[in-house]
Formats: sequence, C-alpha cells, structure tokens
Amino acid sequence: MAEIEQFLKDMGGKITNKIEKKKRLYFNVTNDDLQDIADYLFNKMGCRLSTATAMEMYHGIEILYHFSLDKTGQYFCPRIVIKDKKNPKVNSISSIIEGAIWIEREIFDLLGVEFIGHPRMEELLTLHHPGTVKQPLRFREGA
Amino acid sequence: MKANKIPIGPFHPLLEEAEYFELTVDGETVVDIDMEIGWMHRGHEYISEMKTFTQSIYVVERICGICSTSHPIACVHAIEDIDNIEIPLRARYIRTLVGELERIHSHLLWIGLAGHFIGYDTLWMWAWKYREPVLEMFEIISGNRNHYGMMRVGGVAKDIDPGKITELYKHLDMIEKKMVMVAKVVRDDPVLRSRFKGVGVLTHEAAVAYCATGPTSRASGVPWDVRRDEPTDAYDLVDFEVIVLPNGDVYDKAVVRVLEVIESGKIIRQCLEKLKTAQGSILNNVKEISPGEGIGRYEAPRGEVFHYIRSDGTNRPIRHKVRAPSFVNIPTFTASCKGIPIADVLITLAAVDPCYCCTERSIKVIDQKHGSQPIDLLKSSREKTERIRREIHGN
Repeated sequence: MAEIEQFLKDMGGKITNKIEKKKRLYFNVTNDDLQDIADYLFNKMGCRLSTATAMEMYHGIEILYHFSLDKTGQYFCPRIVIKDKKNPKVNSISSIIEGAIWIEREIFDLLGVEFIGHPRMEELLTLHHPGTVKQPLRFREGA
Repeated sequence: MKANKIPIGPFHPLLEEAEYFELTVDGETVVDIDMEIGWMHRGHEYISEMKTFTQSIYVVERICGICSTSHPIACVHAIEDIDNIEIPLRARYIRTLVGELERIHSHLLWIGLAGHFIGYDTLWMWAWKYREPVLEMFEIISGNRNHYGMMRVGGVAKDIDPGKITELYKHLDMIEKKMVMVAKVVRDDPVLRSRFKGVGVLTHEAAVAYCATGPTSRASGVPWDVRRDEPTDAYDLVDFEVIVLPNGDVYDKAVVRVLEVIESGKIIRQCLEKLKTAQGSILNNVKEISPGEGIGRYEAPRGEVFHYIRSDGTNRPIRHKVRAPSFVNIPTFTASCKGIPIADVLITLAAVDPCYCCTERSIKVIDQKHGSQPIDLLKSSREKTERIRREIHGN
C-alpha cells in the first residue's frame, strides 16, 4: 500500500519491531521520536487518533497508540515501552493532537504514567472520588 | 463584567446520567466550559480481563443500554482480527441487520430527547412511538428488546427463522414510511430550525483536532464512516450512502441522524432480501485464540466504537481496551460551547448524543419581511406537522 511505503520511507529510521498484518501496522518507537511520529501521522498523513492502550507487562509499561487512516481503513500503531515501572514518564502528544488530552489523562489515572508537557496532568475518572483504588490497572500482590 | 461559574450536575434533576459541567459565563455568554466524568466508571476493562473471550462479549454488551450490540460487534471483530477468522455469509448479514436496527432505535431515541430538551414534546412522543416497532423487531430476531446476545466469535448466536422475515418486512415497511415523515419534520419544522440552526457550531478543524467521530464529525464535514472505510460483516455487500453535512451546528447533527435512519432502513431491506437466499452455517467453530493482538471497531450510532484485545493464547484476554465514541466527542464541547448563550448550552451538549435533559424554551419573533406581525412559532409548527401528517396519511 502506497501510504505504508511512504511512511516507512520517511520514518523507517525511527521505528523498530515492525509487525504488519492486514490493515494493521504495529511498530516500536522511542520516547524521543514519539512526537515526530505522531506529528507525521496526524498532520502529514491525515490520520485520526482513535485512542491509546496502556498495559503493564513484565518488561515494562506499554503504550500503544492507534492512528486510523480513515480513507483506507489502515491502522498505524506506534508502541512505547517504558522500562521504569516505578516512575513511568513519557512525552505528551497533546500539544500536537488536542484529542489526546483525555486519552493521556485516562492512562495517568488508570496506570500512573505521567505525560511530560500535558496541560492538565490529573486524574480523569477518579478525580473527585475518594476511596477509589489508585491506578487500578497496575499489577498488585494478591490481585 | 465579572465572570461567574455555573455548575451543572453531577446529580441534577435535568441530567439523566451523572456528569458534571462547569460553565464560566460573562453575562449570558459562555466563555469557558470544564467537564468532569467518572461517576459512571464501572471498571469494565478490568472485569473483562477476568472473563473468558465469550464471557467478555456479554460483559461489554452491558456497557451501554442503547448501543448494546455495537460493543459486542467491535469486541468480536477485535478477537477475530487476532487470527483473521472468517465468518459465514449468513452471519455477516445478520450482524449487519442487527447493527442497523440499533442505529435506528438509537437515533430515534436521540431525536425524541432533542425535542424534549427544547420543550417540543410532540416530537419526543412521536419519535419514541415509532421506536417501539424497532424494539419489537429485536424481540422477533433475538427474543429480547435490549441486550440481544447475538454476537459470537466466528459468527452469530441465533439464526433468523425464514418464517419471521415476512413479519420483519411488515414492521420495516411501517418504520420506513414514518421515518420519511420524521425526517421532514426535523428538516422543515420552524421551531426546530430556529432552535438548532447555527447553534453550537463545531467547525471542521475542531472536529479533526479533537478526533471526533460519528454524526458529531460528519455534521462538520468530516466524511469518515467505519462501515464504508473498513467494511466488515456485510457492509461491502450492501449499498448505502454516508451522510455528510458541512455546517457543524445542532441542526446538521440532527439532519445527519434522520437521514442515516433512512439509509439504515435501506440496508436492513437489502439484508432481509439476502437472508432469503444466503443459506448455510451462522457460526464458524473457533476453538482457541492464538497469542497476539487485534483491533476491532464498529460504526455505532454515536460514532466509532474501538476495542483492542491482547491474547496470550489462554482463554482470557490479558488486555481489553474499550473506547466508546462519547469519550472523544464530549471534549468537543470546549470548542462548540464557547461564545454561545447559556440557554443554548444544553442542546449543544445533547447534540453529541449523551443523555440529559434541557430546559424548555419558547420564543416569539418579528417577521421583518411582513412588518411587525409576530410569528407564533408553536402555532406554525403545529400547522406544519398537521400538513405533513395529512400528506402521509392522505386525509
């Protein structure tokens, strides 16, 4: 597909661990390159940010962004792996995509990942709910 | 003038669901809006990860009572995406049929509520009256008026008895006729026009910036619709139009929905026709899900429902991400509510299709063309409705 080829040509040097499936392209990026990739996908290619999925794995906390190129139905999914599980931080893309503001706040709320440069880094779902479990999607002993 | 804060919610007689909005106003004009959510947070993603893949479908069916088949469809799409599972042709038509019926009942529910929010209860009662036969169609198909339990990985759970197709046609004939009438009312009624036109504009640029989806973005000229852009089920086998309008106001959002209802009727008719001949299995036997990850989405009535599932090869997902369309549509209030009068805020919030009420409002205007003769919009609306009713019924 021409869009994938062009993306790989322009951004291929910044991605690793590429997995290509039917209408899906998963790949890893570093924290330093995340904003460049987001800017390219959103502003240059015209992708829409569907959402981002964060999950705690044994090797770190993964954040998988889901960019949809709606004119073709193709998904581009950059993945960030944060090794420091005690103090997870990653660059915010909300200055590039306003739609990312709530998405990043939700991840901060449910997994405790801090997004550097976010305009309002506070809980989204549990802000005024005292007594709720903090960061409910993190591993816990006995959970 | 000093700016004041007006809180709405979270528990408020005019809100049907718990949400909190804080308006900053300068006189009658809204200068800023802040939103807070979380009162409905039930931890569905976490619960789903404790369940088997099949149980997860039932869990996500209960996320929303209105689009209670959109989440299951997106969920099974995500699981099927992991292993590229094909589904039988007959099941594809049944999935599409159920999805489109849901679109009709959801849009009719919204149209009724929109009328109710502006104090136009005639529209509310008519729209909900004609929503009733749609729920009866669900009952014929699935045995339930809501939470249909139809979706399975690899197909659908229940077949549609060929003997019931005639009965479904009867309901559809009536619904389609009434939808033409409702569409006329929404497009031409002077009260609706005066309350919706030019109100709460979401520009094309803002819709793109906030990644809005569904009728919210299509009414702002953003032409995307998952049904056409990444066709699953039978959407590549049926003809339909994606409704896109340019102005981004409440009026265009309403018109997008009523026209989509008519398109859904066309899709359902095509599915029923194909179900007469598309015989065979309705469910492929899927014994296990491989390790991997899959994305599933579906164009729900409110926009794109997105599910992501990660499997480690066991019978449970290790991560199940769910993103409902309102999650990306609600932040657009920041763009659409600034600069409008307080009285227009609630219908602007409602136009995105979350559920809450609005205060009644009635006005009189002076017809500048014909001098100072006041136009009674309510009277004019009643006359118009009566004229349309006569056109439809011929008496």
